[in-house]
Amino acid sequence: MLVTWKYRIRDTFIQRLDPRTRLIYMLCIIFAITLPDIWDYRIILPLFLISLTLYFLARIEWKDVKRAWLFIGVFVFFIVGLNGVLSGRGGPDSVTNIPSPVLFILPLKIPFTEIGWDIPLTIAKLWFSMVQITRMLTMAILAFPIPYTMDPNIYGTAFKRMGSSDKISFTMDLAFRFLPTLARDFSITMDAQRARGYEMDKLRGGIAARLRRLAPLIIPVVMQSTVTGEEVIDAMDLRAFGTTPRTWLKELHYQPRDYMMLAFGVSILIGCCVLKWGLGIGEFFVPDFFTILFVK
Amino acid sequence: MNDKSTWEFGTRQVVYGAIGAALYGVLSLATNYFPLPAAGNVTFRPAVAVLIFFGAAYGPWVGLLAGFIGNTLGDAAMGWGFYWNWSLGNGLMGLVAGLVMPLIKDFKARGDILKAIGYGVAGVAVGMLFASVTEKFIGGLDWNTALVGYFTPAFIGNTVVVAILLPVLMIAFAAVASRRGR
Repeated sequence: MLVTWKYRIRDTFIQRLDPRTRLIYMLCIIFAITLPDIWDYRIILPLFLISLTLYFLARIEWKDVKRAWLFIGVFVFFIVGLNGVLSGRGGPDSVTNIPSPVLFILPLKIPFTEIGWDIPLTIAKLWFSMVQITRMLTMAILAFPIPYTMDPNIYGTAFKRMGSSDKISFTMDLAFRFLPTLARDFSITMDAQRARGYEMDKLRGGIAARLRRLAPLIIPVVMQSTVTGEEVIDAMDLRAFGTTPRTWLKELHYQPRDYMMLAFGVSILIGCCVLKWGLGIGEFFVPDFFTILFVK
Repeated sequence: MNDKSTWEFGTRQVVYGAIGAALYGVLSLATNYFPLPAAGNVTFRPAVAVLIFFGAAYGPWVGLLAGFIGNTLGDAAMGWGFYWNWSLGNGLMGLVAGLVMPLIKDFKARGDILKAIGYGVAGVAVGMLFASVTEKFIGGLDWNTALVGYFTPAFIGNTVVVAILLPVLMIAFAAVASRRGR
């Protein structure tokens, strides 16, 4: 097994942004939607379009992301969307409390019996489900391009420059460096165990037996890494790690575009808070045009 | 091997935090390829036992860092993005499990292994509850989906993994520690 980072250098606006800008902007949007609990499509839809624009600006090739999109799609549409349509829960109480025309009754019953429920599918639930999917995607598609567009070697520096201590940032940096080494160790162990007749593709038995049979793969790698750790600690102690503040090889500098992006993110956050808490805009409601589609 | 200073954060914690994170990331990825039984969205993540082990062996800071960074690495390597609440939930899982460190005298003693499993299960409960409950606010899920659809399968799956693999890791570690003499 090889660990290959999804990251590739692309000459795009997104990659020219400082990594701190991207992380802070993402947090601004997450907090803008969740802190004041925004459910109004007039706010969520523009935010979704902005997130979608940023996603396309990253210019990630479809072949790289189709598997991940499949995962997100199944999760968002089937689990979250279907749950919203059926139950109407997970959002404000108004979804199930406001009077809304019933589209049809879905009988969820054990066949040939009366055991189960009759679930009314209302226009409010349907609209809520669509808003919920859009709301979730608005946040998810900001996080989604990060592994593809942010240099793994810069995570440690980014966290340091965002105010983390040297030790925390160095842990982050070191973890990224160890990952390919440990992946290689795991591959070697796997090959060695195969040579001894270990059939990893044919793990048989119950849950306990299968888990226990993973031990010949996991134990050697974990134990070897604890030994390696002692050697790394000795090397770092000899270089007086942790006694004085560190300098970092990679430098990060905000550019005008970063300030613009940060100002934009903070404005959205403040704007959403003012709209909800100051003006009372942002609650869930079903727009008339949507109701008219079903009720004439 | 174990200096019993629960909240110390020095070179040892930095290095083992990083190694734990990298191992958690690699093993989360690697074990995706193995046929483990799953029902519904109940999945088994054998790497969780490694995270709990690092917490128990090196303390709560190592558990926190290994869980948080390891989950971030695993998600990044899979190309799934960055989900801070699940990463933090994994970090809390390691942190709570790490509180057992000063109570462990002998890694192959039955009593100490049971203590580690107990703290590990508590860690799984706290971490997965945090991630599931925050998903309610971030993802707009209802309590039922958050607790029954997310928390319960994650808790059951991870508890089974910890109960089975953690003793094996601890006994192997006892042998390595005695050979190294530190």
